[in-house]
Amino acid sequence: MWNSFGFEFVNFYFIPGLVLGCIYALGAIGITLTFSILRFANFAHGETMMTGAYLTWTVMAVCSGILGISVHPLLAAVPATLLVVLLFLVTDRYFYKPFRKADTIKVVMASFGMMLIIRSAVQVIWGPNQLTFIPGIAKPNPTLMDWSKSVDLLLLIPNKHLFIFAGTIVFVMALSYLLNRTRIGKAMRAVSDSPDLAHVTGIDVNQVIRATWIVGGACAMAAGVFLAMDIQMLETTMGFRMLLPMFAAAILGGIGKPYGAVFGGLVIGLAEELSAYPWLGDGPLLSPGYKTGVAFAIMVVMLIIRPQGLFKGRSF
Amino acid sequence: MKRTIFTTAAAMLCSTAVMADVNVGNPMALTGPIPDLVAPMAQAIDLAAAHVNAQGGMFAAGEAYNIIRADSACDPVAAVDAVTKLINVNSVSAILGPVCSGSTIAQAESVSFPAGVTTLSVSASSPAISEMEDGTDLMFRTAASDAYQGVALANLAMEQGITEIAVSWANDDYNAAIAAVFAAAFTAAGGTVTANEAHEPSKASYRSEVATLGSTSDNLALFAYYGSGGITLMRNALETAAFDTFIGADGMLSDEVIEQIGAENMGGVTFTTSASDPTTPAYAAWAALAGGAGVPASDPFVPNSYDAAFMLALAIEKTGSDDRASVSAALRSISSAPGEVILPGEWAKAKSILAAGGDINYEGAAGNQDFDANGDVAGLFSKSSVVDGAWSATLLK
Repeated sequence: MWNSFGFEFVNFYFIPGLVLGCIYALGAIGITLTFSILRFANFAHGETMMTGAYLTWTVMAVCSGILGISVHPLLAAVPATLLVVLLFLVTDRYFYKPFRKADTIKVVMASFGMMLIIRSAVQVIWGPNQLTFIPGIAKPNPTLMDWSKSVDLLLLIPNKHLFIFAGTIVFVMALSYLLNRTRIGKAMRAVSDSPDLAHVTGIDVNQVIRATWIVGGACAMAAGVFLAMDIQMLETTMGFRMLLPMFAAAILGGIGKPYGAVFGGLVIGLAEELSAYPWLGDGPLLSPGYKTGVAFAIMVVMLIIRPQGLFKGRSF
Repeated sequence: MKRTIFTTAAAMLCSTAVMADVNVGNPMALTGPIPDLVAPMAQAIDLAAAHVNAQGGMFAAGEAYNIIRADSACDPVAAVDAVTKLINVNSVSAILGPVCSGSTIAQAESVSFPAGVTTLSVSASSPAISEMEDGTDLMFRTAASDAYQGVALANLAMEQGITEIAVSWANDDYNAAIAAVFAAAFTAAGGTVTANEAHEPSKASYRSEVATLGSTSDNLALFAYYGSGGITLMRNALETAAFDTFIGADGMLSDEVIEQIGAENMGGVTFTTSASDPTTPAYAAWAALAGGAGVPASDPFVPNSYDAAFMLALAIEKTGSDDRASVSAALRSISSAPGEVILPGEWAKAKSILAAGGDINYEGAAGNQDFDANGDVAGLFSKSSVVDGAWSATLLK
C-alpha cells in the first residue's frame, strides 16, 4: 500500500496538514479579532484553548461518572464553552480593562501574566499529569474507506478528523454570517477600523469588546476541543505550543482579517506537514525535526516582504 | 554604606538560620513531560530523609536533613532557574538530582560547577554526562549510563529476531544520545537501521514522520518522553498501521501509555529501563521499607532516588559539616569498600560507625553504587511488555 504516490501523499501528509490547519485557523481567528478590536496580542489565548479542553473533559467525566452516559466531546463542549466565555469576560474585566487606556505593551504583559496564572491554576486543579481525553486508537472511517476504494483513491480518515473538518466549516460560516449580516458584527468591523469614529457614531464600544471576547472565546474553545480530539489527551502546555503557529497564521493572513486567519492557518498547517514529504528522492525534504521552524520561517519572510499579510491587514 | 551593613547583617541572619539544619537542593521534573514517573521518585527521596531524621538526624546535634524541592520541569532553562535559586538563596550543601539529562547538564555547566557544588543525579542517564567534567569531581549519578542501556536494547532487538529497524528520536540530550548508542550497537550486531530521523517533541501530529519512516520498515525504535510526543507518535504509527513492533527505553515506560493507547493495541511493544537485582539483601531491605511506606519499590529510578538521597546524607554526615567543598570526596568514601556494609535504612548504624571514625560502604537498593572515575555506576536493565493490561518487567542478564 506504500507504493502509490497519491495514497501516501493524501493520507499521511495532506490530510494531517489540513487537520492541523483547521485547528490553527480557529485559534488564529480569536487572536486576530482581539488584535484588531482590542489592539493587543493576547498571549493567554493558547491557555484558553487548553482550559476549554480541560473543562470539556470534566463535563464528559461528570456525565459518565455520575449519570453513567458517555457524551461526545462536541456535546460536552457546549456547557464548557459557556464557562470559557465567562473566563474570558472575567479576565477582561479585572485584568485587561484597567489597562485599556495605557500603552499596548502593558496589556500585552498583562496577558502574558494571565497565561502563566491560567496554566498554573489548571495544574493546581487538574494536576500536572496528562489526562486521557479519548483512550485507544482511532481507526479510519470504514464507509469512507470503501467508497473511496471504489473510485480508486484510498482515503484513511478517522471519524475524529471528519468532525474537525465539519466543525471548522460550520464555525467559519457562522462567523462569516455574524460579521457580514448582523448588527453587532458590523459594529465589530467598525470598531476594528476606527474605535474613536465608531464611538462617535453611537456604537457601544464596551458591548463590542464583550462580543469580541465571546466570539474569540468560542473559537478558542473549538480549537482546544478539536486539538484534544486529535491528540486524544490533555496536558497543560498543549495550548501554549499552538500559540506561536497561530500567531504566524494570523500574521500571514493579515492582522485583523478573520478570513486571512483561516487561510493562514491552513497554509501554516499544510506547510509544516508537507515540508517533510520526500519531494526529492527518498528522504524527507526537510527533517521533521525542523517542522516548527517552517511556521516561523513563513512568519519572518512575511513580516519582511509583506508586513500587512496576504489579506492586507494592519501593519505595525 | 548603610545599605552594605544592612545587607551583610541580613546575610548573616539568613546563614545562621540555615546553619541549624542540613539543606539539600532537590530539583525534580514535577511538571513537564514525565510527572507520572517522577512522583514516586520524589516519594522515595522523602522516605530517605524521613529515615535519616527518625534515626538521630545529622551530626552529633541531631540536626534535621531537609530536602528543599524545586521544579526543574525536565527543561534545561527551568532547571538552571531552579538550581540557581537553591544554591544562591537556599544555600544548599549539594544538589540531589535533576531528573532529565538535558536539565542535569545545563544546571551543572551554568550553575553548580561554577559554584563548586556537587550534583548527585537520580536518573539522568545520557552518556554525555560521563565526560562533561574537566579536572573537577562534582558530577555523580545513581543511574547507569545509557552507553550500556542502548547496547542492552540492541541485543534485545536482535534476540527478538529484528534484523532491520527504523529509529525515531526526540531532539533532546537524553533521547538523542541513547538513539545514537542504540543505532551504533544495532549496526555492529549485524542489524540494519533503515532510517534514523529526529522528531521535534510536543507536536500535535507525527503522521508525516511516521509515514516517512514507515515506508522503510515495520519495526520502530522510539526514543521519546511519553509526555512530550511519545504517545502521540505511537498512536499515529498504530492508526496508520505503519509499524507493528516498537522498542524503546525509560522515557516511554509509564502506565499512562497503556491507559491512553489501550493494552489491546500494544502487543508488539517492549521498553527497557534501568532495574535492580531483586535477589540482593540491599534490595530486600529496601523493598520492606518501601512496602511499609507505600512507595512502589521497583518503579523506574525509584530505588536509585532513595539511594541518592541516603548517600548524600551519609556523605554530609561523614564530612561533619554542611560545607559544600568536601561532599564530593566523602561521597566516594561512603559508597565503596573498605568499610562496614550499610543497607538502605540503616542510618543509626552508619551514624555510630562514622562517629567512631570508622569506614562504611553503602550497598544500595538499585545496585552496589560504587562510583567509577566519572562518577558513574554500573547498572542492570529490565525489559517490560504489556501483559494483562499492565507492564510486566523481566530482568535482562
